[in-house]
Amino acid sequence: MNKASDVVTPDPAAWRDGVRTGIPTLFGIGAWGLVVGVAMIKSGLTLPQALGMTLLVFAGSAQLASLPLIAAGAPIWVIFTTGLVVNLRFVIFSALLAPHFRMLPWYQRLHLGFVSGDISIALFLQRYPDPAPSKGKLSYLKGLLYPNWASWQIGSIAGIFLGNVVPAEWGLGFAGTLAILCVMVPMVASRPALCGVLVAGGVSVLAAGLPYKLGLLAAVLVGMFTAMAVEELGDRFAAAKGQP
Amino acid sequence: MSDLEIWIVIVALAVSTAITRSGFWLVGHRVTIPRRVNEMLRYAPSCALAAIIGPDLLLEPESLQVTLLNGKLLAGIASVGWYLWRRNMLETIVFGMLFFTALRLLHLF
Repeated sequence: MNKASDVVTPDPAAWRDGVRTGIPTLFGIGAWGLVVGVAMIKSGLTLPQALGMTLLVFAGSAQLASLPLIAAGAPIWVIFTTGLVVNLRFVIFSALLAPHFRMLPWYQRLHLGFVSGDISIALFLQRYPDPAPSKGKLSYLKGLLYPNWASWQIGSIAGIFLGNVVPAEWGLGFAGTLAILCVMVPMVASRPALCGVLVAGGVSVLAAGLPYKLGLLAAVLVGMFTAMAVEELGDRFAAAKGQP
Repeated sequence: MSDLEIWIVIVALAVSTAITRSGFWLVGHRVTIPRRVNEMLRYAPSCALAAIIGPDLLLEPESLQVTLLNGKLLAGIASVGWYLWRRNMLETIVFGMLFFTALRLLHLF
């Protein structure tokens, strides 16, 4: 039986495993960061402001959402609220991840939560769906999170300096979409998950016009409910046929 | 906005990141999540990923119009095919970008 101490004991093999799992996604993350970096500098932020924003905020969609508000001189509380709403999906993610690492001191939990990105969390939960203690978990998570953070920052800072050199029509941000596709495909192996993903994608498109990226949150919620309903129906169907 | 105001905005956004991303890590052990909700949350990561890429694949960015015949969607579908065949993420991203760029340069979509 694994103990809580096993989770936090540094495990170089697990760290390398995490890095290896994440490496293929880093290219997409970096390209995505590049796009956000270009957007920041093009929206009129000064060099120090753009650098400060990428290093302190580390939330691509919230940064993109805030740029037009900053340009329009919106009140600070409005921008703050927008940041909260755009990031709401991370509340769900942190609810999933936090139970794995509740034994850590608070500053480590604060720090790990802050640097966790969508793709890293999805990859981590693929490997460790169960919050029960398991050897090398923390090292594996760090192997995913730190390179992910670094490639985002490198891409973003490159974008800030390249500024107007990269033409928008190259569509570099599409590399981020492709990285997400690759992470998502293995996750839809079951029928409920597939239904949830299709519905979430559909709702995100239909609700894309909602303010504060609320369409994203609506899509996640409706997708989750759909997956759950399909799972439930499948269980009942199996029970009716006399299968376990 | 003045320089100072923009820096205040940046710090405020950093706080919003910390609240949403780290909030549950800090206080989660004092909250019990009902079993049903927990079961549902298992589907959250895949649904969130789908919701992030859905608009990029299906919408015209300017007009928010749904387009089923566009370069990104076709490149996305081709990339899923490539990934299912090769099971290699980096190859898939390179293939998808080349495919998308080819469609764009040939002015097909």
